[in-house]
Amino acid sequence: MGSVSLKYKSKSGNLTAPGDVDPGAMIPITTTTLSTNTASVTFSDIPQNYEHLQLRVMARANVLVSVRNITLQINSDTTNNYYRHYVVGTGASAVAGSDAGTVMFLGNATGTDYSSSAFGVSIYDILDYSNTNKYKTVRCIYGQENNTNGQAAFGSGLWKSTNAINSITFTTEGNYSFMQYSHFALYGIKRAGA
Amino acid sequence: MAYTYSKIATYTVGSGGIASIDFLNIPQTYTDLVIKTSLRSAAASVNPGLLIKLNGSATGFTGRNIYGTGSAAASYSDTSGEIGILAGNSATASTFGNADIYIPNYTGSNNKSFSVDSVNENNATSANQYLYANLWSNTAPITSIALRSGGSVNLLQYSTATLYGIKAEV
Repeated sequence: MGSVSLKYKSKSGNLTAPGDVDPGAMIPITTTTLSTNTASVTFSDIPQNYEHLQLRVMARANVLVSVRNITLQINSDTTNNYYRHYVVGTGASAVAGSDAGTVMFLGNATGTDYSSSAFGVSIYDILDYSNTNKYKTVRCIYGQENNTNGQAAFGSGLWKSTNAINSITFTTEGNYSFMQYSHFALYGIKRAGA
Repeated sequence: MAYTYSKIATYTVGSGGIASIDFLNIPQTYTDLVIKTSLRSAAASVNPGLLIKLNGSATGFTGRNIYGTGSAAASYSDTSGEIGILAGNSATASTFGNADIYIPNYTGSNNKSFSVDSVNENNATSANQYLYANLWSNTAPITSIALRSGGSVNLLQYSTATLYGIKAEV
């Protein structure tokens, strides 16, 4: 089967030829699936021409626990500018907590205590990521499941900076490597008129 | 990526603030609607409620939530039209709420169920994460949406809301 070169829909909104597509408002920027265990994943040089960002992470950490926090570091900022609050359900109870530090603990990876094909899933939304009038608030729904154990969680993170976000680095709490097949995707979401 | 996620309108609040962000004459050509909001209001609290009017109506809303405060998890039901939270003026300066409002089948002739994922942040031990399940007991297609803050106060400068349409397929 031959390939079709995809082209954006014309400004007038008319499809111009078979195979032409309108990319819509949500654009995949970068996707990475790890071929080997990897200490960290960085999205750098993030384009500034979107309104919002969404990151989707499916991750497993090389440490003998059931679940491990994912950590985010923005623009390589290593100062105490990060805060996190969350609520988590275990299947039996719901608890909440908070922390602060030099990284943002938000999202989760499974550990090797889970079966080898079980990964944690985290979806992050960062609104107005390039707006220099705002500190950056991250919203994240995340969880993992392993037949007998699991968690569903909803959290928020604050990067106390008005700088536009141009890079995001993912690691795990304790710097255990992300394992093979962990998957990281960055999407840009346009504003109207863009 | 398929043509499934379309930007319809963006509103950015200017200096002086505004009482309500209104999306009018919403096209009836999509399957679902999504609104992404980054809002802060003049309310003298950390997390005032995010209120909604659909088709100009503030009645017929019921909802339930699960939420965390940074130290406790709880839940309650609401009939006031509160569908989520935003950042109030007692939250850390320059912080804004972060929320997604997802309204499926907004042109349908059934009552409208919709979900809201909303958070605010604070450089303190207390901040809030609210997941809402909401119902508008009205069968009319949704043609307008108005967003405002609890406390009858203005939404503040730099607040944004963008309305997107979702199509099942081209």
